[in-house]
Amino acid sequence: MILSPDKNNQDLLGTLVEFAYAEYGSALEMLIAAKKASSPKLKLGYIRHALDEYRHAGLLFQVLSNQVKNGIGEFKREYKFSPQNVILKGYVDKEGFLVEKFPLKKFVEFVYSNEYLAKESFDYLSKRISDSKSINTLKNIMDDELGHADDSEATLADIQKDELVHHGMAKKFYESKFPAAKLQLAFKREKLKNRFRMFYYKNLRFLTKIFDPILNFIINIFGKVVNLISIPDKNKRNLMSSNSNSVV
Amino acid sequence: MYYLGISAYYHDASVALLDSDGNLVDFKKEEWLSRVKGDKSFPRQGLQELIKRYNLSEQNLVSVTFYEKPVRAWLTVLKHSVKNNPITNDLTRNYFKNAWNSSMRFHFDLSKYLNVKKITINYSEHHLSHTLSTLYYYNEFPCVSVVVDGYGDKYCTSIHHIKSHDEITNVWSSEYPNSLGLFYSAITDFLGFAVNEGEYKMMGLASFGEPKYYDNLSKTIKFDNNELKVDTKYYDYVRRTDRSYSNLLIDELKIQPRRPDIPFEVGTEDFKIYANLAASAQKLLEDLLFLVFKHAHDLTNETNFLFSGGVAMNSSAIRKTVELDFIKKLNLPPSPGDSGAAIGAAYYGFINKNKKTILKNNLNKNIFPGKIESKEDFFDLVFDKIADNNDAIEKTSEIISQDEIVATCYSNIETGPRALGHRSLICNAHKKELIKVLSSDIKKRNIFRPTAPAILKRDAENFFNLEEKLMNCYTHMATTATPKDKVLQDIEGIVHVDNTSRVQICDEDSLLGKILMSLNKYKIQVIANTSFNISSDPMVYDKEDAFLAVERMGIKYLLTETGLYKRK
Repeated sequence: MILSPDKNNQDLLGTLVEFAYAEYGSALEMLIAAKKASSPKLKLGYIRHALDEYRHAGLLFQVLSNQVKNGIGEFKREYKFSPQNVILKGYVDKEGFLVEKFPLKKFVEFVYSNEYLAKESFDYLSKRISDSKSINTLKNIMDDELGHADDSEATLADIQKDELVHHGMAKKFYESKFPAAKLQLAFKREKLKNRFRMFYYKNLRFLTKIFDPILNFIINIFGKVVNLISIPDKNKRNLMSSNSNSVV
Repeated sequence: MYYLGISAYYHDASVALLDSDGNLVDFKKEEWLSRVKGDKSFPRQGLQELIKRYNLSEQNLVSVTFYEKPVRAWLTVLKHSVKNNPITNDLTRNYFKNAWNSSMRFHFDLSKYLNVKKITINYSEHHLSHTLSTLYYYNEFPCVSVVVDGYGDKYCTSIHHIKSHDEITNVWSSEYPNSLGLFYSAITDFLGFAVNEGEYKMMGLASFGEPKYYDNLSKTIKFDNNELKVDTKYYDYVRRTDRSYSNLLIDELKIQPRRPDIPFEVGTEDFKIYANLAASAQKLLEDLLFLVFKHAHDLTNETNFLFSGGVAMNSSAIRKTVELDFIKKLNLPPSPGDSGAAIGAAYYGFINKNKKTILKNNLNKNIFPGKIESKEDFFDLVFDKIADNNDAIEKTSEIISQDEIVATCYSNIETGPRALGHRSLICNAHKKELIKVLSSDIKKRNIFRPTAPAILKRDAENFFNLEEKLMNCYTHMATTATPKDKVLQDIEGIVHVDNTSRVQICDEDSLLGKILMSLNKYKIQVIANTSFNISSDPMVYDKEDAFLAVERMGIKYLLTETGLYKRK
């Protein structure tokens, strides 16, 4: 859900922007989870979580603004918040929200692990910030993230209880009660995924260098072909009698 | 049997559904469901909702119509770029790299949800979809339709002569890159606002300035010999993806583009300069637009005009069309942009199959289509119900009379970009300070963005100078009006600096109409109305969004179809 910041990454402002979008993405995930939740209590829990994540996204942009004011880096146009970037940057999958793709238990497990990971990422990030106002802001966000992880644990317990009530399977409840080891496993799995994302991100830049000349070659060939294609002119024509199956 | 229309991939994506009688039974903007403002992805959530609600399948779907010709849309810009730029330039590369993210993947995306082999798939022309989205609401023949947007599938401005439902002739058009919309967006970009989103901010800012850069901008775009021409050496939208204006435009204007992170401060020298630039672009847009309208009249001799496309959202320009004597009536759809084009696309499918049109004016009937299933099961935890649905209007009026702000999330949502009462924040418009709180503190809007008034039909003539030819436009806030001198002081809070208001005239049986009727006893004839959303979020859609928004904005009261609620 969130990209771990590169400890040696010089682009602090860029990292802050990524964090802000990650928080914004989480807010959307939580809101959609609220809409799908069957119990009013769970629904409210997700909405409260979403409220925090929206606030965090706003605060991170404020931290970014503080850094610019303090002369740490220069503001770039791509730092300006644009909601659609949350999709373009991959923090929300346009093919489906997590709650649509995962069963509820797995979804909560995912949230739990990622909230802990977020806390860890914020730890790294706060070490690179020098002004006290921004450090405080980040500290508050970190506390919230830990709170969310606790909420998730409580939610898991609630879900288990609900299952117990629904199915009357007392024994199963005790057997399947979420053990610490299982959470640790989920935590490690998410951490590994995050590392893989970072690996991919770093190598993407390298791969771009290799594939750019190939793309240029393809454009050279196809560009000439494109130039030869004629697009029909519709002037003076009755548009209602044109071919409705045509894509050109 | 149903007719589905879809718009997607460039601006806010939408789905629209017409039934066998041509009624708009549902309409969903993807951003309402994904909660990502301006979401242009394939509208999978909207489509999934419609499939579920109406059991859509090859059994009951007559056709699915996409709002443009996908390959033509992709090829046009690419051809221009390949011809005029070095082969490996930014724009060309981007078009190649993102070919599979463009509308060319429509058929593939659709196939994930519907059996495309057994359903008729139509592709309407982009500007025809806009024209039909307007015609859908008005259905008066003959008439002329003017479509002006950034870029459709090849064309940027079109004039369609409509003699009947099956005779819509393209009598004139300007091709990419000669675009009024892209010109306006480029200046929006220059002013540090987001393209496709900040244009209305620039329109608001324009009222604070003088058109001092008019002559400079006139060198860059012209309407000469009935041809619209953009001098692209001033505009980088033909060669770059990260910026719309060129260094040559900076040199021409002799001002630096505004940095988006530095807030506007009214009264500063910078504010004046940028307001002057906005005023110049606005005036030039209006002048060129009026030349296009004149040309439309010259070509067709029609006096009944339809207007759509993204530029038709420029309510300031629309009011000034009253200066054009040859226009007897000007009609706009409630959603003139690309999302509304989904309605036009669905209508294309309807006409194509039935060879007939809908013989009535549909405007009032189709402003709040569809049905939203939204549960209030969590309301007990967060709200106190202070009035049930029988008393809610009366109680809302009482609360408004006590200078409170009320949010509405009432039944279905409006199709267009303007809040017409069902997703609104409303308060007493006779209280200037209260409106300031609503606009600046709650909505966090720039000072140069006005708040709109809503008024009953019977009172409207007493408060505003209305134009007969624009009467339909006042129904859905498509244009502005000037207030009468005698009431100016009384409603100062909803009057913009240029002495105009984007007034909404309400029917007595609409939600705002009922509230206004009830407010009569408190001597409140006008209410201030702004959209119920946080800046950078889409309009509130369901009850979860409503609660989230009242929490984030600190609003106390929420009116829904089940009653009036107060936050605990």
